[in-house]
Amino acid sequence: MKKHIFWTIERALLLLVSLIVLFPIFWMFLTSLKRPRDAYSISLNFKPTLDNFAMVFAEPWNLGSMVLNSAIVAGVTVLISVPCASLAAYSFSRFRVKGRKILFFMVLSTQFIPAVVIVLPFFLMFRSLGLLDTRIALIIVNLAIVTPFVIWMIKGFIDAIPVDSEEAAMIDGASRLRVIRDIVLPMAAPGILTSSIFCFILTWNEFLFSLILTRRDAVTLPVGLVSFRTERGDLWELMSAAGVMITVPIFIMAMIIQKHFTRGMTAGAIK
Amino acid sequence: MTEVRLVDIEKRYGSFLALPKQSLTIEAGEFLVLLGPSGCGKTTTMRMIAGLEDITSGDVLIDNDRVNDKPPKDRDIAMVFQNYGLYPHMTVAQNIGYPLKLRGISKAECTARVLEIAEKVELEELLKRRPSELSGGQRQRVALARAIIRTPKIFLMDEPLSNLDAKLRVTMRAELKHLHHELGVTTIYVTHDQMEAMTLATRIAVMREGRIVQLDTPKKIYSEPVDLFVAGFIGSPSMNLIKGEVENGFFVAKGVKIPVQFSDRCDVVLGVRPEDLEIVERQRATIMAPVYALELTGDATLVTIKDGATSICVRGPADFEANIDEVCHIAPRKPEKLHLFDKSTGERLNS
Amino acid sequence: MQDRFLSYALLVPAFVIVVATTIYPLAYSFITSFREWDLTRQRTPDDFVGLQNYAHAVAETGFQNSLWVTVIFVVASVVLTLVLAMSLALLLRRRGPLHTFTRIILILPFAMSPALIGVSYRFMFNPEFGVLAVGLGSIFPGLKGTPWLADPDLAMAVLVVTDVWHWTPYMTFMCLGGLASIPRETEEAARIDGASGFRVIWEIVLPQMKGVLLVTAILKTIFALKMFDQVVTLTGGGPGTSTETLAYFVFNVGFKWYDMGYASALAWILTLIMMVISAWYVRMLLSDKNTATA
Repeated sequence: MKKHIFWTIERALLLLVSLIVLFPIFWMFLTSLKRPRDAYSISLNFKPTLDNFAMVFAEPWNLGSMVLNSAIVAGVTVLISVPCASLAAYSFSRFRVKGRKILFFMVLSTQFIPAVVIVLPFFLMFRSLGLLDTRIALIIVNLAIVTPFVIWMIKGFIDAIPVDSEEAAMIDGASRLRVIRDIVLPMAAPGILTSSIFCFILTWNEFLFSLILTRRDAVTLPVGLVSFRTERGDLWELMSAAGVMITVPIFIMAMIIQKHFTRGMTAGAIK
Repeated sequence: MTEVRLVDIEKRYGSFLALPKQSLTIEAGEFLVLLGPSGCGKTTTMRMIAGLEDITSGDVLIDNDRVNDKPPKDRDIAMVFQNYGLYPHMTVAQNIGYPLKLRGISKAECTARVLEIAEKVELEELLKRRPSELSGGQRQRVALARAIIRTPKIFLMDEPLSNLDAKLRVTMRAELKHLHHELGVTTIYVTHDQMEAMTLATRIAVMREGRIVQLDTPKKIYSEPVDLFVAGFIGSPSMNLIKGEVENGFFVAKGVKIPVQFSDRCDVVLGVRPEDLEIVERQRATIMAPVYALELTGDATLVTIKDGATSICVRGPADFEANIDEVCHIAPRKPEKLHLFDKSTGERLNS
Repeated sequence: MQDRFLSYALLVPAFVIVVATTIYPLAYSFITSFREWDLTRQRTPDDFVGLQNYAHAVAETGFQNSLWVTVIFVVASVVLTLVLAMSLALLLRRRGPLHTFTRIILILPFAMSPALIGVSYRFMFNPEFGVLAVGLGSIFPGLKGTPWLADPDLAMAVLVVTDVWHWTPYMTFMCLGGLASIPRETEEAARIDGASGFRVIWEIVLPQMKGVLLVTAILKTIFALKMFDQVVTLTGGGPGTSTETLAYFVFNVGFKWYDMGYASALAWILTLIMMVISAWYVRMLLSDKNTATA
């Protein structure tokens, strides 16, 4: 009897948690389907419309170009940082490199630097190089943010692969590089995919650098959100539509890796 | 057939001395077992021969070729790991064929050789499966097949049977022995199981704390252990080790008075194996003590008698019966089977 | 062996990235923090003025305020997140379709852009048409019409809520990982000895979680100090300067007032605070783990 009450409370709590987690997201999706005047009421009784989506992609908002910017910046950042990070992660994991601990600590600690402290020099540097408001600038700064994190994550995944198979391959006649190619990479593939998606999500959602370093051409989606504030007030229904565009790709990606998510987030973070 | 020599080899991890300087020659075609408890340095020694571990000082020579700086792939060796080291993302066939693929052998020939070897270890049915779909024994055979497909100069085996259940272990021991006889490749085998060592080896190197304590044939190690450690390590049930003294031509301890050919000495340990003792009539007994426990093994009865500090196990006949605490009378079968050791150094005293 | 060369070679590409994109700018801003540089007045920096910028910071009310705001925010957000995360982890430990569902959707707040979270909550807390403001107002009549984001304390509260909503899932997963490494037998033994469910958790499980909780708390502190996006989209630092955290203050000084020298000094103060805490974090990490994984 006591157990039954306990279960019911547990289930109720879980539902409550799910509600809290999903509600803001749900509300945003809902609002994106409302006409302007419906957005200012909280009633659930309204006629849905897709006009908002059409509007945000048209002038003057041009969400389309922002989607493109975000996609390119995030995509290129992943393409550059993941391979470089994988090699470094393998080295940290498998070799007793001299001063390994110090180097790894150095890499790790760059993750804990506030973005503001490097945005200033970048702003000044890009300004003098004429690289303000370009995608290249964003790619460079995003590499700064994600690379240490990706090294950390992938190292965690490689640590979990037993060394036996690599040693067996070396005895069978494979050189170290061959071992990495034939044995380690296939076995680490799920981990590398998870890390790549993490990297993509971080870059896609990045706000501060984009806010400061772009103006018009290279604006990414999160910063684009802010442009929906006008003198008339905030255009919530349009903002919500833009918000949906920002979140849907990410949610899809997050769901793909959700099985590995725990591993990814805690890789190297705890024992 | 290949000879392997370790000359003045030493291994340190930082300041920790894992293997003190020593030498070892593994003769061509022999099956050498490195035997010892965990942490004794046997695996480290083998990994240095394999090239998986750096050598702090000394040389490793394979057929008189100094291989210290050669990577594993150039040493022409094959190895079976304790946890098999299979490639989980490849099929059984791909696992077995990988060494050939690395050497650029044509796909057709690869497939043929893989099939040939697979039949030898009875894996033909499983070639398309992945390691995760196989049982422990099957995985072990894949590891073995991968090792023998190349006919290398040396086989290295790191406790390959320790993850198998008892029955399978016995079967695989016979398989390995037969394989060695058939292929004649020099084999170095690491284990902590003295039964495996006794049944498989042409010679055993008993190791302890990094040092080789005795290097001999199984027969000699069994009948002439060089010290207390080896005496107690080999043999199951293990050798009886009784502390006592030699007085006036007798070894004396609680409940024990056996005639021995040795001068008076105290701090002596008498070693005698359970099967070298027999249960006798009262008059002939030189060991007397109450029965502590009886264990039936099917083909014999192991009787443990105990009196104070003295505890002795004797291998009696299968139909032997007695009550606990009943006094039992025992005598050694042959005087040559009595071993005397110095209690403090552990060294053997008589020959 | 050749491995030695390879072990260093493999590190090169990543290190080039890290040095070029992080170390170099860090050094640049460090040097700038010792110079006088008002970007509105001159294109290039002035002479070195030593610790003047830092001294100015200590004396200035803007900085002091931002420090105070930051402390309040960090403490509130870390405590709340940790308590919620640990509780959620205990709840989600078991198996079950509802548990699995909750665990899956728990990823979503973490995957959402913090800037967007700020916007979303700003919308929901609008006193006239915000669903949460109106909803809370109808459940608790006393709360009807409260100007959530116009009140200094309430605005901070909402800011903390956005951060807690964003980070609790991540921390929950860390706690779940920690719980998984506690041997079941310790709880079962306690149950057999006669301890009630609550006592088992309080006296057996939580003490074993100390290490994980500490590491989680430190990590959350670091992330809280870094927090920036929501301040821009939710409150803009307001009302007044009541939600102007140190990170946001630096942003203002650098990109509203364009005082580069001062901004660099402020940024470095924040960085130093974070370095101290992260050093602690890394030390905790490396002491628990063996060199095999470090």
